[in-house]
Amino acid sequence: MEVSGDKRFRILSCIDGSDESYRGLHYAARLGSGVDADIILLYVRAVDQDMRSGGLQPRVFRENLLDWGLDLPGINYLKKGREALAELGIMSDHWTERAVHVDRQGDPLGDNSIEYTNRAGKKIVLKLIVAPDIVEGILKECESNEYDLLILGASERWRPGRRKSFWDPAVAEKVVARAPCSVIVARELKENYGHMICTNGSEHAIDVARKDAILASRCQCPISLICVVPEGESEATAMDALVRTRQAIEADDVVVEEVLPRIGDPVEEIVKAGAHYSVIVIARSEKRPKWWLLETDIAYQVMEHAHNSVMIVR
Amino acid sequence: MEHRIDRSLARTARAALIRGQGTLGLGWRRFNASPYRTLLAYLLAKKWLFFAVLVGIAMLDLPLPEGLTEAGRIVLTMSVVATILFVTEPIPLPAVALLIVVGQVLLLGLDSSEVARSLMSDSVLFIMGSLMIAVAVVKQKLDKRLAFLIIRFTGTRTSNVCMGIALVSGVLASFIGEHTVAAMMLPVGVTLISLTSDDPARVRRLAIVVLLSISYGASIAGIGTPSGGARNAIMIGYWREFFFDPGNPETYRYAVDYLKWMAFAYPVFLIQIPFVTSILFWTFRPKQKSIARAVVRLRAQLADQGPMKPADWATIGLFVLILLGWILLSDGIGLGTVAVLGAAAFLVIGLVRWEELNNGVNWGVVLLYAAVISLGVEMKVTGAALWVAQSFLSLLQPLGVDSGFGLWAAVSVLTSAVTNTMSNGAAVAVLGPITLNLAVVAGEEPLVIGFITAISSAFAYLTVVGTPACTIVYASGYLRTTDFLKAGWKMMVVSTIITLLAAWLYWPLLL
Repeated sequence: MEVSGDKRFRILSCIDGSDESYRGLHYAARLGSGVDADIILLYVRAVDQDMRSGGLQPRVFRENLLDWGLDLPGINYLKKGREALAELGIMSDHWTERAVHVDRQGDPLGDNSIEYTNRAGKKIVLKLIVAPDIVEGILKECESNEYDLLILGASERWRPGRRKSFWDPAVAEKVVARAPCSVIVARELKENYGHMICTNGSEHAIDVARKDAILASRCQCPISLICVVPEGESEATAMDALVRTRQAIEADDVVVEEVLPRIGDPVEEIVKAGAHYSVIVIARSEKRPKWWLLETDIAYQVMEHAHNSVMIVR
Repeated sequence: MEHRIDRSLARTARAALIRGQGTLGLGWRRFNASPYRTLLAYLLAKKWLFFAVLVGIAMLDLPLPEGLTEAGRIVLTMSVVATILFVTEPIPLPAVALLIVVGQVLLLGLDSSEVARSLMSDSVLFIMGSLMIAVAVVKQKLDKRLAFLIIRFTGTRTSNVCMGIALVSGVLASFIGEHTVAAMMLPVGVTLISLTSDDPARVRRLAIVVLLSISYGASIAGIGTPSGGARNAIMIGYWREFFFDPGNPETYRYAVDYLKWMAFAYPVFLIQIPFVTSILFWTFRPKQKSIARAVVRLRAQLADQGPMKPADWATIGLFVLILLGWILLSDGIGLGTVAVLGAAAFLVIGLVRWEELNNGVNWGVVLLYAAVISLGVEMKVTGAALWVAQSFLSLLQPLGVDSGFGLWAAVSVLTSAVTNTMSNGAAVAVLGPITLNLAVVAGEEPLVIGFITAISSAFAYLTVVGTPACTIVYASGYLRTTDFLKAGWKMMVVSTIITLLAAWLYWPLLL
């Protein structure tokens, strides 16, 4: 079934050469196979620090590298990603290819992309863009080309440590805080263990749960629901929220595998229970602080403390 | 768990079949970033600009310290603010240069024509000419012949190839600048790595050793001759500006020419070469003891270049003439004139087009050095440099390092620390007036302190931004910032010891 225009589901998979980013890509391929999705592989190259090269413009050594027939940094990573998609059977025959170059930031090599399209209109795009820094590059790409889902590896390179820093929050944290779409922060991402969707029974949470449940079911990922109520409240309250969410999901013909009522600290319980699943799915609060440094949203805290992948749905 | 998943998969698959594989509903996208968050992100990005402005306001508002003139305070404030902006880069560096020019007119009350004149000196002319020559040399594509030369003599052992790369990079960089050599040698290094394996993970340690051999080899050599780097020309300019008096023969030794600089600095560079390879191999221990396969394939690639072309010979001949000009004529007509003449010769002969030079040289860097040198001269004229030197010395006194070997070490450590956070040329331009005045106050030889400052400014092995060569090899995408730290601190220790030993044992023989 061909779906065209802005109804296509678009997944942006950020690649930085790490194993984690390729695991994220595998997952993107799986999610993308269940729906009529385009997959965009993105590598962001920090703009050359022209004032640091001693007065020589970076174009001098970049052109010299190209003259030797050497690729730009990042192209190999993207090629490896394309090969991974081919091995998964996502890219077979009959794909047309289109290369696009756009000058950026005064950088001679600018933004480059190769767009592969099959007969059904499905697109796989390899994008290599240049930006002042990685976060700005990812966010700019998100904002200028609407995406439904962003998959970002919490890799060593983009997330150097778990240490929280006021002045320089890690890339994943910055992207999650400012991304205009839903984000999966991939961490030890394993397939086939299903989605654990968090709900509190609110309309917003149920809506998010329905959306993810449809996505998960189409790529044959088992679905579980969890609701955590604070100490002092009864398990019945959690069950009530779970039942309402389950009914909403099953109304869409999607099967909920299990429900997990829990009592205690929401972040701790979600992180503990979520460790057995591929992805913890959690909605961002509707009432978010205007200043992201003051972020206290449970979704944000789960992302920070989880040991596995977290999908934050907006 | 497995049973549960299998069961669930079957059920969800059935549900998907019933429903069909249509599109998902809307609602997954189209969220706008909050304007508050965008504003906060902007404010955070510019935080160091606000910090620098606040520091500047505070310095101008504090009571005038004893011994410092009002003009001196303004220049000192401008220097501190400029240093913060150099290190943190909240705005483009050429913008800092422009603000320095404006500040001299508006804050110091200097005549704008006078400020404009102070921007151009022989040192700046030299930097400009050298950069144009660098672009012209890189454009001649002699790098493939260099690569052929290296692998012909070194064989296939990884350590020998790396030593050859460091040596050739070093010797060349000492004459034509580290950025030129790094730009020429980077493809050689990357080709060797990629011919060894397509998988970056497999050759990671080899990549680090090869690429850092280029950058560290070039960095240690940049101090070898005046044409090795902008910092050398800047220090030569400061000696001449601060101490040289045409009417006083006793000050003639401060007119340091090309050969005199080489006599002081070249041995310091040569002694460091074996340490580069040793430290890199000791630190990273690459698995590949031999890269015979890569070398053979590279030889095959390079063998079809044919004999040297007339343009190749003309480039080499012209560069030798420029070098002779620096050695024989610079005392009379200045290093800058020779450099500009050399650049003009490349254009006149037709080896390079003006558009290539214009596109290849970052004129913002020239503007930056011009502005900082101009500010450095004002530091001296207003007495600010002397006041800072006296204050610094009074800090060193209780530690017992206010003269002799202790003071040299303090100057070297200070310069090394500063140069790791900004370009080495800017570090010398900022620190030069202070350390030279420090020498005067402490009764030390300004030549010795000046050489220690200039040479120590090359010890920026710790960061990507420390030296142009490090920045260029980092752009290959093979290195991580932590790689520079792992080997860099060892290089710093060795380089500092060698420099101090030279100042103690060798330089007195030349004075």
